[in-house]
Amino acid sequence: MKTFICGFGTIGQSVAKILKEKQEFFLDRYGEPLVVVGALDSKSFTVNPDGLNADELLSTKKTTGMVGDKPYKNIKDALNAVDFDILIEVTSTDIYTGGVGLDNIRYALKNGKDVVTANKGPLALRYKELINLADEHGRYLLFEGTVGGAMPIINLNKYDLAGQQIKSIRGIFNGTCNYILTKMDDGQPFEQALREAQQQGYAEADPTSDVEGYDSACKVVILANSIFGRNATFNDVDITGITSINSDAVALAKANGMVIRLIGEVSATKLEVAPRLIPRGHPLSLPGTLNTAEIITEYAGPITVSGIGAGGPETASAILSDIIDIMDVRIGE
Amino acid sequence: MIVNAELFVNDLPGQLIGSLEPISLVNGNILGVVHNREKIIDHRICVNVTFEVDDKRLEELKDLWQSKDIVISSLGSVHETFKMDYILIGDVNAQYIESLVKKINEATTIDQISVSYSSKSIKTASHTSLISIKARYEDNLDKIDNILRKECKRSNVTYVRGV
Repeated sequence: MKTFICGFGTIGQSVAKILKEKQEFFLDRYGEPLVVVGALDSKSFTVNPDGLNADELLSTKKTTGMVGDKPYKNIKDALNAVDFDILIEVTSTDIYTGGVGLDNIRYALKNGKDVVTANKGPLALRYKELINLADEHGRYLLFEGTVGGAMPIINLNKYDLAGQQIKSIRGIFNGTCNYILTKMDDGQPFEQALREAQQQGYAEADPTSDVEGYDSACKVVILANSIFGRNATFNDVDITGITSINSDAVALAKANGMVIRLIGEVSATKLEVAPRLIPRGHPLSLPGTLNTAEIITEYAGPITVSGIGAGGPETASAILSDIIDIMDVRIGE
Repeated sequence: MIVNAELFVNDLPGQLIGSLEPISLVNGNILGVVHNREKIIDHRICVNVTFEVDDKRLEELKDLWQSKDIVISSLGSVHETFKMDYILIGDVNAQYIESLVKKINEATTIDQISVSYSSKSIKTASHTSLISIKARYEDNLDKIDNILRKECKRSNVTYVRGV
């Protein structure tokens, strides 16, 4: 099968590397390789119908800052330059408009391509439309990497907990906020903890999306739609960020055996992101940059999962599992 | 509600069972029974029983015991409570907290409420405060939550609730 990597930042580069490393696995499992025939970043693209060399892509990106040698005016021109089966959509997230990712996913589905994405924006804003579009064209749109990075949650609910009613999911869905709040547990004021998170590379130069709870809200919407069958969008989420959490509040919580964590909560009736008081030792009191989710199920009771919530290889691992899902079906056809 | 009862029954065969039957008749659920044969008063033997029962049927149960010549020595109840903590951050002073507590008390049944303030801001007019509430019924927590959410939003106060 042939794939096109759309977006060649941290995640796109990790996907290219992992797909190269897993060639033997694909040959063993399917009797054929998975070939990357196209790659694109914000400035350039490159294609080869016989397959691109991942090492060369990574090296070119490192030395020139661009993945290819061809500029483009319209992404569609790049996507039309080569035939492929699966679009890996990992351009940067735009939670306000869906960004180019939304256009790319629409275009790929309409043109008969399966899509795997880690891009939250399009799904948080246009979930129903995109799923309907995929159904209409008999294509797959898979997105395990959009929530919790390496932490399995969407497929866990879809496959391993299939048939059970999921009563609620609540969890830590933003590693940056968790890092800041953990630092505040140790006495650092908010501003200092944020600066440290930026220096460590956990927070963006503009941390609004993280600290105001918007990033977590996107994930809550994706879970609400994909697991609870709701038709929610970003604007339906009741969002409170962590910017008003001060050292006093953290100290008061600590003195009473609790910590403050930014928790996303979703159920059939609830869509919320807010700082919450968590008893120390509770699964949601996790420190550091990890993500965690507590799933309350009909028969299995509470199930807790955790994992690294962001990062190239971690998110690429979720993308890999989605690709395998698609190949299992397509090559079995 | 959960009830602890100390009963005295005649020291005759079948009296222990006879003291427990009325609990079943009012749909009670017996959690534990101790037949205390060492504690005898006026030829009656002590039976300690713990059970769950709808509080509306407790009087009926007492009548049933009395009709069977069973002496109720003591009857105490234990309520299950539901706890929730809230931290309020913003321009919050003792008067504001007092008004919130009054609103909560008017709207729900609460067993216990305690308020503590951060030591750092106690010297100033505004505080970061922790309110710990024990409510009689779980749905009372939803009512309390709604009150605090609404009031805090109105006063531009951040409220952080437990899980």
